[in-house]
Amino acid sequence: MSKRSAKADVLQGTLDLMVLRTLEAMGPQHGFGLAKRIQQISAGALDLNQGTLYPALLRLEQRGWIAPEWGASDSNRRAKFYALTKAGRKQIAREEDDWARTVALMERFLRAAE
Amino acid sequence: MRALWMRWAALFGKRRSERLLSEEVEIHLEMRAAELRAEGVDAAAARERARRELGGVEQMKEAYRDRRGIPWIETLGKDAMYGLRGLRRNPGFAAAAVLSLALGIGANTAIFSFINTLMLRMLPVEKPEQLLSLYRTGGWGKGYASYPLYLEFRKHDDLFAGVLGRSGAGKVRFDAGHGNRLEYVQREFVTGNYFDVLGVKPAIGRLFTDEDDRTPQGHPLVVLSYDFWRNRLGMDSAVLGRVPMVDEQPLTVIGVAAPGFHGVEVENHADMWAPAMMNRADIMQPGNHWIWIVARRRPEVPMGRIQAASNIIMQQYLMSVYGRQRESAFGKWAMEQKIEVREAGVGISMLREAFGKPLAILMAAVGLVLLIACANVANLLIARGAARRREIAMRFSLGATRRRLVRQWLIESLMLALLGSVLGLAFAIWGERYMLLFLPPGAGEQFRVTPDGTVLGFTLGISVLSAMLFGLAPALRATSLDPAAALKAGGSQQPGRGARAGFRKALVVAQVALSVVLVGTAGLFAHSLAGLRAINPGFVARNVLTFSLDYPRAWKNADKEKHRERLLARLSALPGIAEVSYGVPGPYRGGSWSASIRVTGSARTAKEGVEIDEQGVGPAYFETIGARPLRGREFDAGDLRSTRKIAVVNETFVREFLPGIADPAGRILSFDDSKPEGGEPTYIVGVVRDILHDGLKTTAKSTVYVPYREGDVAFGPTLLVRAQLPAGALLPAIRRELRAVDPEVTLAEPRTLIERVDDSIFVDRAIATLSGFFGALALLLAAIGIYGVMAYAVARRTAEIGLRIALGAAPGKIRWMVLRDGLLPIGLGLAIGLPLSRAAGRVSASLLYGIKPGDPLALACTIAVLVATGVLAAFLPARRAAAVEPMEALRHE
Repeated sequence: MSKRSAKADVLQGTLDLMVLRTLEAMGPQHGFGLAKRIQQISAGALDLNQGTLYPALLRLEQRGWIAPEWGASDSNRRAKFYALTKAGRKQIAREEDDWARTVALMERFLRAAE
Repeated sequence: MRALWMRWAALFGKRRSERLLSEEVEIHLEMRAAELRAEGVDAAAARERARRELGGVEQMKEAYRDRRGIPWIETLGKDAMYGLRGLRRNPGFAAAAVLSLALGIGANTAIFSFINTLMLRMLPVEKPEQLLSLYRTGGWGKGYASYPLYLEFRKHDDLFAGVLGRSGAGKVRFDAGHGNRLEYVQREFVTGNYFDVLGVKPAIGRLFTDEDDRTPQGHPLVVLSYDFWRNRLGMDSAVLGRVPMVDEQPLTVIGVAAPGFHGVEVENHADMWAPAMMNRADIMQPGNHWIWIVARRRPEVPMGRIQAASNIIMQQYLMSVYGRQRESAFGKWAMEQKIEVREAGVGISMLREAFGKPLAILMAAVGLVLLIACANVANLLIARGAARRREIAMRFSLGATRRRLVRQWLIESLMLALLGSVLGLAFAIWGERYMLLFLPPGAGEQFRVTPDGTVLGFTLGISVLSAMLFGLAPALRATSLDPAAALKAGGSQQPGRGARAGFRKALVVAQVALSVVLVGTAGLFAHSLAGLRAINPGFVARNVLTFSLDYPRAWKNADKEKHRERLLARLSALPGIAEVSYGVPGPYRGGSWSASIRVTGSARTAKEGVEIDEQGVGPAYFETIGARPLRGREFDAGDLRSTRKIAVVNETFVREFLPGIADPAGRILSFDDSKPEGGEPTYIVGVVRDILHDGLKTTAKSTVYVPYREGDVAFGPTLLVRAQLPAGALLPAIRRELRAVDPEVTLAEPRTLIERVDDSIFVDRAIATLSGFFGALALLLAAIGIYGVMAYAVARRTAEIGLRIALGAAPGKIRWMVLRDGLLPIGLGLAIGLPLSRAAGRVSASLLYGIKPGDPLALACTIAVLVATGVLAAFLPARRAAAVEPMEALRHE
C-alpha cells in the first residue's frame, strides 16, 4: 500500500461518536462549528469531508440522540444548532465502552503479532 | 420507530426540508468564507475555498435526501410516474395490454365471486367450522328428513353439542296488520334450539328457546331477520309484541336476529322464523320429509366416528318405522335411505349440488384465459422492449443498475395489471349479473353475488401474480444487453433477435395450445346442449304461459274448483288466447305423483301391482300443450262431472302393459292393486305420446292421466295458457281477469313453458354459454398474439421480402410464405393442446349429455376453428408482405 496520505478517512461509524462527544464537551453547536471543532481536535489528522457531516447529523437526529433548534450565531445570524439529548448522553457511554473494548482487543492482536 | 416516523413525515414536508437544508449549507459556507475573509483572503476566493472544503454539495444533498425520506417509496413513486408517462406515450400498447388483462382478470373475478358466495363464505354464526349437515339420500327427495328422524339424532349428545332442524324458507302471505295490500315473505320453521345451537344473538328482543317449541300449534311466535326488520319495517323497535298475520296465522314478534344472519342456507334466505311446532302439516309423519338436520359436532369426536354412528342411528330408525314392510317393494325402497354427514360451515345449498362442479370447471377455464392474456401482454412487452433498447442502453450508460431497471419494468407491469383489474372488476360485476340470469327463479331469487373483501383480495392477488408472470421475462430480456452495442446499433433489434423471436413464438404456441383446451371443452358442452335441445319433449312449448294460484287458507276445495272454472271461462274469452287448461304437477314444475295399479289382461300386473306415474289434468290439457292424443280422445268438461272413472295413458304405458294392442281405448285399469283383477275399474279413453314432464334428461315412464280433482294431492295445479302471440305479453290481462274474479286470489310463479324447460337445463346452458364465451375470448387473445408476432416478423423482414419480390417471387408465394409461418404455431399448438383438451373433456364427462369426451364433432370443430383463426390472424400481415414495394424496401435498408 502506498503512503498516499497520512490523513485517515473517517472510519465508518466513528463520526457519530465524534459529533456526540463534541456536543457533550462544547454544548449546543451549529454544523460549521462542529466541523471546525472536530478538525481541530484531530489536529489535522482527520480528512473530514465536511459534506458528510450533515447526513450524519440528520441520522443522529432521527435516532433521537441530538435535537436541532434554530437560533442566532455569534455573529448574530440565523443558524441551526444541535444539542445533545438525554438519549444521546447514554449513547456516548455505550459507545465509549464499545470503543474501549475494541481498542483493547485490537491492541492485543497487534502485540501478539509482533 | 422515531426515525421511521420522521422519514414518513419527510415524505410530505419535502419541499420545506429541502429549503432548510439549503439554508443550513449556505450558512456553513458563509461562516467559513467570513473566517477566510478575516484571514485576508478576498471574497470570491474565500467563497470558492469554503465550497471546496465542504465537498460536493449536490452529492451531500442526495445522501441527505436518501437518509431523510423512504427512498424506495420515493423511487417507487417516480417509477410509477415514469411508467404512466410511458403508457400515455404509447396508448395503443397500453390499451391492448390493459384490455387483455381486464378480460382475463374480470372473468376470473366473476367466476370466483360465485365460488366465494356458494362455497367459501362462512356462515355468520359462532364457530361455523363445527357445523355439520346430516344429508339424507335415497327414498324420497334429498337433504330433507322427517321430524321423527330429527328427534332420534337429537338424543345423541355424545356425538353432537347440539342438533337443530329447519324447514327451509317458503313464500307465505304476510299482513303487518294494516289490512292493506297482500304481501309475501319468506317464512322458515325452526326448532326451538335453532339460534342457540348456531350461537346467533338477538339484535333486539329475544330469540327462541326449547320452551317456545313444545306443543303443536301452541307457540304463535315469530323472530324477524335483521334485513327484513331494517328494509321492510324501518328498524321500528316498537315491532316487539306486535302481532302480524304470517301465513294467515297471528304470530307475536318476540325479537330480531343479529345483523347479517339469514339462516343456514346460501341461496334461500329467511325473512322470519317460526317455531317448528307451528307447522300446520302433520309433522310427526315419518313419510313427511320437511326438516333439514344441522348439527354442531363435538370437536373431540372424529368425523369418521360421527358418520359411522349416524349410519347405525339411521338403520335403527328405519327398522323401527319400516321393519315390518321391509320385504315389500315399498319397504325395500324406504330402507335404502342413508344419512351423509357433510361439513356445513359454509351453509347448505341445493345450488351448490347442481352448480358446484360446473363452477370449478369454469374457474379452471378462466384461469387459462388469464394465462393466455398474460402471454399476450408478455408478447407486447417484449416487442416494446425491443423498441426501447436505445432508451435502456442509455440508462445503463448513465449508471442505472440492472436491478433498478428490472424493478422499473416490473412496476410498469404492475401498473398495467392494476389498471386491468380495475376495468376487470367492472367487467366482473356486469358478468355476474349476466350469469345470474341463468339461474332459475327458485334458485336465484335471493342469491346475491356481492364482491367482498375475499373477492377484492383475490383480484388484487391475481393481478400482482399475473404482473410477475408477464412482466418478469420481458424485463430480464430487455435489460440483458450490451449497452455499447445497443447504442451503436441505433436501437434496432440486431443482437439476440433469433432467441427473442423464438421466445415470442413459443408464447404464441402456448396461447394456441391453451385455446385448444378451452375451445375443445366449449365444443363438447355446446354439442351436449345441442343434443338436449334436439330432444322432442312431446309437447310444443312455444307461446304457452304457466302459473299457479295462491288461495286464502280458509278456502275449501269446492271453492277453489268453482273459482278456477270461472277464471278459465274468462281467460278463454280473452282475445289472443287460444286454449286454457291446467295440470298437476304440470310440465317442468317439479314434484311427482305415483300410484300402484293393476291392468286387466296384462301379464305385467298379473302377480302384483306396478308403480306408475300419475298426473291430474284438466279438459283440453293436451290440446293446450300441443300434444293431441294419438288415438281416442282427451277429457272434456263433461268428464269432470261424470262418476265413471276414465284415464288417458301414454305410449310407454301401452308398450309395458298392453303390448300389441292397436287401440287400447276401452281397456280397464284399476288403482286398487289389492287383487289381481283390480277393484273399481278405470276406463282408458285415449293414448298420447310420451311427454317428458320432468326434465329433458329423463326417460319416459308409464304414465296414467286422470281428470284432476282439487285436493287429490297436496300441491295445487299449474295453469297453462296457450296464446297466439308470445305468451308473456298476456300476463297483465290475465292478472286483471284474476282480480276481477276474486281479488283475494293471487298469481304465483308466472313463467313461460319455454323458460321452464330452460330452467330445467340451466346448468347445461350456463356452462355451454360461458365456456363458449371464454373459448371465444381465448381465441381472440390468441389471434391477437399471432397477429402481433406475424406483423412484427413481416416488418423485420421487409428488406428480405423486397429482395425476393425484386428477384421475381410471385405475390402469392410471398403470401403463402408468411401465412405458413402463422400456421406453424397453430399446428404446434394443436399438437400440444389436443391431448390436454381430451384430458379436460374427461374431467367434465359427468356434465356431458349424450356424448363422450372424445366427441369427433367437437374435435373437428375445434381444429377447424383454430385453423381459421390462424389464417385470419396471419392474413393481414401476409397481404402486407405481398404488397411490399421492392424499391421502397431496399432503399429503406
